Amino acid sequence: MTSITTFYLSRIIGQKVQDHYGIYIGTVKDLLVDPDPSNYPTGHPVVKGIKIKYSKNNSFYSFENFHIEKVDGNITIICEQLVELSKDEIANSMYLADAVLDNQIVDLNGRKLVRVNDVRLVTISSGTFAVAVDIGIEGLLRRIGIVKPLKFLAGLWGGTIPSKFILWEDVETIDFSNLNIKLSKSYAKLQTLHPSDLADIIEDLGRKASTQVFSALDEEKAADVMEELDTETQVHILESLSIEKAADVLDKMPADEVADILDALEDDRAEQLLNEMEKDTSQEVRELLVYPDHTVGSIMSSEVMSFNQNATIEKVLEELREKKPEFETLYNLFVTDDNEVLLATFSVRDVVISSPDVQIKQIMKPSPVHLRDYQKINEVAEIVSKYNLLAIPVVDKKNVLKGMVVIDDVIEDLIKKRRTNK
Amino acid sequence: MFRNKKSFFKKLGIFLAILGPGIITGSVDNDAGGITTYSVAAAVYGYNLIWTLIPSFIVLVVIQEMNARMGIVTGKGLADLIRENAGVKITFFIFIGLLIADVGNTTTEFAGVAGSMEVFGVSKYISVPIVGFMIWFLVVKGTYKIAERIFLLFSVSLLMYVVSAIMGKPHWGEIGHAIIHPQMEFNAQSLAMIIGLVGTTIAPWMQFYMQSSVIEKGLKMKQYNYSLIDIVVGCVATVVVAFFIMVACASTLHVNGIQINEAKDAALALKPLAGAFASQVFAFGLFIASIFSATILPLATAFYVCEAFGFEAGIDKKWNEAKEFYVLYTGILIVGAAIILVPNAPLIFISLWSQVINGMLLPVVLVCMMLLVNNKKIMGKYVNKPVNNLIGWGAVIILIALSLALLVVPFFS
Repeated sequence: MTSITTFYLSRIIGQKVQDHYGIYIGTVKDLLVDPDPSNYPTGHPVVKGIKIKYSKNNSFYSFENFHIEKVDGNITIICEQLVELSKDEIANSMYLADAVLDNQIVDLNGRKLVRVNDVRLVTISSGTFAVAVDIGIEGLLRRIGIVKPLKFLAGLWGGTIPSKFILWEDVETIDFSNLNIKLSKSYAKLQTLHPSDLADIIEDLGRKASTQVFSALDEEKAADVMEELDTETQVHILESLSIEKAADVLDKMPADEVADILDALEDDRAEQLLNEMEKDTSQEVRELLVYPDHTVGSIMSSEVMSFNQNATIEKVLEELREKKPEFETLYNLFVTDDNEVLLATFSVRDVVISSPDVQIKQIMKPSPVHLRDYQKINEVAEIVSKYNLLAIPVVDKKNVLKGMVVIDDVIEDLIKKRRTNK
Repeated sequence: MFRNKKSFFKKLGIFLAILGPGIITGSVDNDAGGITTYSVAAAVYGYNLIWTLIPSFIVLVVIQEMNARMGIVTGKGLADLIRENAGVKITFFIFIGLLIADVGNTTTEFAGVAGSMEVFGVSKYISVPIVGFMIWFLVVKGTYKIAERIFLLFSVSLLMYVVSAIMGKPHWGEIGHAIIHPQMEFNAQSLAMIIGLVGTTIAPWMQFYMQSSVIEKGLKMKQYNYSLIDIVVGCVATVVVAFFIMVACASTLHVNGIQINEAKDAALALKPLAGAFASQVFAFGLFIASIFSATILPLATAFYVCEAFGFEAGIDKKWNEAKEFYVLYTGILIVGAAIILVPNAPLIFISLWSQVINGMLLPVVLVCMMLLVNNKKIMGKYVNKPVNNLIGWGAVIILIALSLALLVVPFFS
């Protein structure tokens, strides 16, 4: 058979299957595909198996010996030989009707969840493949069985019914209602999304699926995504992960973000996590946790770079190269004395345009604008805007440098306030 | 002692944070349609049908508890779950029904706005467009959360029905007797009334609303007990308000043989019998309840329909991102308000039929819910206990029997 046949999953489900003598051998319940994208370089998973119901028994057969033929729009399914699938093959398959049809999947280009109205498949000489998902109104109406009359009506008015397909390589399936699935799905395609987009998607998923997707991310990505999640989802995920795994993710995050999350958790759980985390990180977090909500201390980042005023630019560059700080940490660099009392600030720009032998005290700006750690947050936005700052140093009452508040955190706080006012 | 006190306040704090879904749902429950049904039932049957509030209460608690549990365990809306497990066709049937019934209900809410303002001498041609636009503006401009809280505060004013009821000097002895010895006549009118009473107390769309608000609150299984208290408080409030509305109307209208068709009639009829104040209190309660429900109902309906069919939805989305949602929302609101402004619109017909559709939908939604909440794949260890199943299936069977009886009885009488 060299002809190409395309068909919809919904047209197959519930169809009768015949052997080549035309004798009824069962009804189609589901199609099984290989969920691992590394096994299908074309991006289209091959249909491996078929679930058939005969009288009251469900059986799984290899799809190789099944042929789907379309004559005048009518579909017939013919089976030449019944070869049962092994338990292992069944367990490592994804059920198209059960796990994809009517479920939510991730549209990678639109970076959002969409609901699947139908799946389009194609049979060519090398096998049958799932090529696209239908998320349009046409697919919905086809399922209900009223697409033809409506198309006719729309045609009378010169209109069309909008249809919308997404190619299989541009989607990632999420939900496994198949409890037997053995392999842990990699969600490889999701790793390409921006952490913020991924966070939005995970927030919209159900309880089970959100943990499942999150657990599949690698630690770096997981930490980035965790930062972007809303508090409720953060709490939910941290409570469903194992303590070790959760602590590993938190270790990779900035201390101020961790402190915010732990604040929302129950005290016991937070304590468990702190004990499991690495010593230096948890120490930083504990210091931040002391600050009450609505104080500068609770939103400040404790990752700052401070130098002695006698150090040269060369020394500064050396240290920056060695420590490789995050981008945010470079918003502002600080000068402190031996007791870590804040003296002045300087910027990366100052460093870049100065020659290596210049001392910091020659370029630094003394008596900088600063905040106190117990100061109220709502005063910060004004100061940021008044002095055009990206980051403001935070000191305690002895003027010891404790951290800095970064403009992102101020904006985040403002947005949160606006939201809760709604 | 001090520690106990601290833990008491901590618990109270947790409760207040969780508070909401059940109580808001309970308040929306006594909407214009509800008030109308209670008033009419009491005007016709006096205290005789007050007993229906007790089984309604039990079923209401059981159903809302299931919704809360499903929301907490799955984190998915009821519309999502039905679509994913029951397929497109059943989903389509439920949501077309829900859409039609809710347009009808929204119309009833605007009828409540119009009627209550007429008691205060404001023409419906002024009150309905203003209120309609206000609601639309409130939601689309995204101040919905504030509005919800204000309404919640206002809904306390529904307790003013207690005042209305007491001013009508009810016979408490007779009321007690009527509750202890429930009476029921087997004729079409009485059966329809009972279905109406149960149907307005347990409206199908509320199940969707309840589950979504539990998810929005981000409740967890640890907070389940507080959530349960919230539900019980909400249901008690619903039934108490309904009780006093029925008492107010039964002890005045029924005793004097006054028949009414609308809640507004009840407010007007109360004036000579219980005084102008009682009448105004009744009308004010109706006004608040109508606006509250007219805000939530179209919004909720648009949301669930979009959820089920996979369109973007939510008031935090922009018009272009969620076109279907906003078009649907605006459409329901406009149609609902416009019908009221048509002279001689068949309001009673509309309110009756939206109740009947609700009554037909309710068993379907309940059967879906019962199957979902007993599905181990979805609920894990939190599937229904035998008691829940007994009451749940019992309610389904009784509701179906009542609906069937309503269809059959007219042929015998």
